[in-house]
Order: sequence, then structure tokens, then C-alpha cells
Amino acid sequence: MSLLEIKNVSKIYGPLKALDNVSLKVENGEWVAIMGPSGSGKSTMMNIIGCMDKASTGEVLLDGVDIAKESDKKLTAIRRDKIGLIFQQFHLVNYLTAVENVMVSQYYHSMPDEKEALEALERVGLKDRAKHLPSQLSGGEQQRVCIARALINHPEIVLADEPTGNLDEDNENIVLDIFKQLHREGTTLIVVTHDPEVAEEAQRTVVLEHGRLVKEIINENFTD
Amino acid sequence: MFFRMLKGALFRQKSKMIMIAITIALGASLATAMLNIMLDVGDKMNQELKTYGANITVVPKESSVIDDLYEIEDGSTTKAFLKEEELGKIKTIFWAFNIVDFAPFSDTTAALSDGTAVKVVGSWFNHHLALPTGEELDAGVTSLRSWWEIKDGEWIDEQNSEGNSAMVGSVLAEKLGLSAGDTVTLSTDNGKETLKVVGIFDAGGDEDEQIFTTHDVAQKLSGTEGLLNSIEVSALTTPDNELAVKAAKEGPGSLTPKEYETWYCTAYVSSICYQIQEVITDSVAAPVRQVADSEGTILEKTQLLMILITILSLIGSALGISNLVTASVMERSNEIGLLKAIGARDYRITGIVLTEIIITAVFGGAAGYFMGYGFAQIIGQTVFSSSIEMKPMVIPIVAVLIVLVTLIGSIPAIRMMLRLRPAEVLHGR
Repeated sequence: MSLLEIKNVSKIYGPLKALDNVSLKVENGEWVAIMGPSGSGKSTMMNIIGCMDKASTGEVLLDGVDIAKESDKKLTAIRRDKIGLIFQQFHLVNYLTAVENVMVSQYYHSMPDEKEALEALERVGLKDRAKHLPSQLSGGEQQRVCIARALINHPEIVLADEPTGNLDEDNENIVLDIFKQLHREGTTLIVVTHDPEVAEEAQRTVVLEHGRLVKEIINENFTD
Repeated sequence: MFFRMLKGALFRQKSKMIMIAITIALGASLATAMLNIMLDVGDKMNQELKTYGANITVVPKESSVIDDLYEIEDGSTTKAFLKEEELGKIKTIFWAFNIVDFAPFSDTTAALSDGTAVKVVGSWFNHHLALPTGEELDAGVTSLRSWWEIKDGEWIDEQNSEGNSAMVGSVLAEKLGLSAGDTVTLSTDNGKETLKVVGIFDAGGDEDEQIFTTHDVAQKLSGTEGLLNSIEVSALTTPDNELAVKAAKEGPGSLTPKEYETWYCTAYVSSICYQIQEVITDSVAAPVRQVADSEGTILEKTQLLMILITILSLIGSALGISNLVTASVMERSNEIGLLKAIGARDYRITGIVLTEIIITAVFGGAAGYFMGYGFAQIIGQTVFSSSIEMKPMVIPIVAVLIVLVTLIGSIPAIRMMLRLRPAEVLHGR
């Protein structure tokens, strides 16, 4: 059974079809990139997979459970227990330090553990910046805090929306290296991007246009 | 983690929280000031209204009956008297401390040296009383008729006067060509007295055609030593309620024992009158209805005004808090969306935001209480020329009101927060 299976999913906003009959399977431990121009439905797809929005029609099976039919309360629990979210804008809590931002995720999941949170920051190379506020961190550092926060609860699937969109080349490489490391460790990664260089790092790339899945590319050169 | 988040939100967003605290403090200060004034205004208004004269008159029972029968307003036409020796008993009744002033009155008609008949009234002016209770009091016309305008000279000073003194009404003084420092001779069948005019007063009524002198002089002229015609009493009273009206209309005998106890132990004008009658033999004590009713009406209206100001200030605060908290939630929509996205349930986010606001409200409310204390004293000194007593019961009332106002003011923000969907704020959908 696939970790994630999307069957004939459409999302309609009034007259607009943001997703139009999309189907996709993601296996456990796979690294998939979702590409497409602006307005192609990438973020909508990420919201649906990330349990932050519901499909208008179709099925979204996560671990065999159709999340399209679940209540908001249940979707919150799925987000908390199974999904790690990484955003282009980082979305860190501005009045909490780096380590506290990681601990927030633990707090809503189970129990905050500062030692474990510091280890997560160490993993992304930010242990020495643990007590800094987001405003005292660079964009790349903020994104790494965001990654540490996404990973702290050992999610089954990591969803990253344009994770390198706001980063310079050096920081982009650092983030991609972290993703490679995660993939090696068996984490399932779905990365939404419009950057072909980022997409090329994935095992498989699906291309969306006008809400439709128009192409699927297997990265023949993929190496861990 | 909850406390870390709380601490972070409170200390690293100081400016926002200070704005909310200031809004709450302003509401709390007005509520504190108004509630304290409202609770203290009864005494203050009573004291203020005491400057408008006595609110109880005591006359002999016999003259009261005759006055009622023949509708005579001037009790002097009858030959019934009260005993001067019983005067001090007025300060021994249950509500003795509410008796702020009183004075005996004796009057007679005397002839001037040219044969003109004038009404002579004897009373206390600033009569010093040292009561058995240890209380000392200067009582008399000087304070009971504080509205008199002294056109010439001064008030009679009983404590330092050297001889017989008189104050002459302005109309009579003009008619007789008298001014302060002159002397006037008064004769009756009981003798002759020469009085020094120490002051000319304008009372704006019948008293302007009378001569006021000390009580003993008037008694000598009327030949009624040890007796007096009436007593005027100024007492601090509680506005009448249904019980007081029932007691006044149907008499204390119509009350049940419990009602009687309540009535007797409350400073209603009727219960004070009743207690005066108990200590002054063969007397009838009656409220000066115009004054007593006005006091009650003014007091009720003033208290209503205070309540309205308190309510309006709290509504203002609630609106201010609502705007600020809503603006704060809008500003923090990304953070709230993120917390929802990483698995926070609505009640946990609501809990932390409300706790932040309540803690801010506690600090704002405490600051507001002390500001309100200051406002109350400023208002007290400006309006009543005395300080406002701070009532401890205001503290829990203000605390409950502030919590309620803060919670009510936060409702729109909480509703907005509950409706907020993470996808909308995190991905701009």
C-alpha cells in the first residue's frame, strides 16, 4: 500500500478549478517534487496533502485513511502526528527563540523536550543559534529552524512548499543537503517547487499545469 | 512550554500588551472612581445638602395638633412649649452621630423704643456643646442658616461675645436705619433688653423683617426661661424606600417586628423623627418634606448618573479592547495559522491568547484601580471639597467587571481566530 494515494482529486473555488482530476501515488521513503508555474495548483495540492484543506471531489488516502472525508478535528490530529510542514516564508513565531520554535511543535504533539529540540537544531547546524530570536537569524538559518521544527516529531511525510524560494545559493545547497540526508534516513519527502534545479534533486517530478497533472519525470540520475 | 510562550508573547510584544493594558487601565480607573464616588456620594451629598438647612423640625405635640387643625404654619401662636433641659437628649438617640446640627428656637413679639412691634427670635448661633459621649459640637443658626448673606457686620459669636447681641434682617434694618455697631432696645411685658447689632443679614424671606438674638435673651423677653417653641434638626438621612414610606404613612405600629427592626436601625428621616420623639417629651418631630424629598431625589439621580458613566466607560473599554485584540489577532494570524498547522487545537490557541489578555488585564486593572483612586480624590476635592473614602468592596467588583469586559471585548477576536484556516494565512489562499 502506498503511503499517499490521490485518486481523481479536484478542488473547486467558485468558477475556478484549482485542481482538476489529479491522481498521484507516493511510496514510503520516496522523494517527489511537484513542479509547475504560478497558479498551476501546487500549493492547493500541498494544502490538501497537508490536511489544511479538503478536496472537493476524489479520495486522498494517507496510510490508507481517506483524509478527504475526515473532520477538522481529525485532520488536526493527522497534521500533528504524521506530517512535517516546511514553508517558503518559514513562519516562525517571532517572539520565541529558535529552540522554542522547535519545542512548540513538540508541545502540541506530546511533551516538549529541550534536549531533543537542541539535537534537532544541531542536525541542521544551528545548535549555537538556539537562543536567538528569528529576527536575529538569516533567511537560511530561519529555514533550517523550520526544517528542525518539521522533523522533531518524526513525521511519516515531510511537505515542503518552495523551501528554497527565499534563499541564496549557499543556503539552498545547505537545505538540499539536509533533504538528501533525510531521504537517506527513509523520510518521505514531497517538495513543491518551481525551480528545476531543486526538482532535479528528487527521485520523481510531477508537473502541474492549470490544475492538471501533465507530466511525470523519473530522475534517472538520482543518487543518494 | 505554555509559560515560555506566554512569557515570550507578553515580554517580546510589550508595546501591544501595554496598549491593551492602558485601555483596560482607563476603563478600570473610571469604573473605580465612579463606583467609589457612587458609594460615598450619599454621605457627601447629605453633607452638602445640610448647608440648605434643617430637614427635621420638632414642635410641641399640642401646638402641632392645633397647627394641623387650623392650618397655622407659625407654631408661636400656641402656648405649648418644649423643655430646654431635654435638648441634649437629641444627641443620645440611636442615630446620634447622624445628627450634624440642631438649634432651639424661642420667639416673641417685642416693641422697639418708637413703639414699633417686631418679631424677636432667639436661638443658638455657634453654641458649644460638650456631650456626655465625649463628642463636641458647635451648633446653631450660623450653620443651619448658612445661606444667609451678611450685608453688614458679622454673625453673632456666642463663645466670644461680651454682651447681648442681635442680628437684624435687612428689610427691618433698612426701615429702622440700623447698621452693625448700633444698639436696639426691645421691650415686652417681661422686661427690657438693649442689644448691640453685630450683623445685618439678608435671608430672602420673612426672616428679613425679624431680629435674631441669643436664646437666653429671647427667653427673658418672652418670659419662658427653660422653655422653647421648636427645635430644628439637621440629620444625615438615607433616602426613603417602600419600608420608610409605609412607616411614615401608617406609623411604626403597622410594621412587623422584623420590618420595625430594619426601619429603626436605618437612618430614614422617619425613624430619626421617631427616635427624637422618644426622647423629647410631648413633641412631634416631622421631616421638612421638601428638603428630605429633594435629598432623596438628588441622591438617586446622582447615583444613576454615576452608574451610567461607569457602564459607558466599561463599554468604551470593551470596544477599545475588542479593537486592539482583534488587531493583534489579525497581526498574529500567521502565527495562529502556523500553530493550527502544526497541530494545535482551537481551545489551546484560544487558551493561550486569552491568558495573555487576562494577565495584561490584571496589570492594567491594578494600575487602573490606583488611577481611579486618584481620579476619585480629584473629583472629591473638586466637587465636595473632601476626600472620597475608598470602599474595599469596589476591588472585587472592578476585578469581575474588568475580567468580564476583557472577555466580552475579546469575543470578536476569538471568533476570528476560530474561523481562521491555516491554508488561508500560510499560503494566502
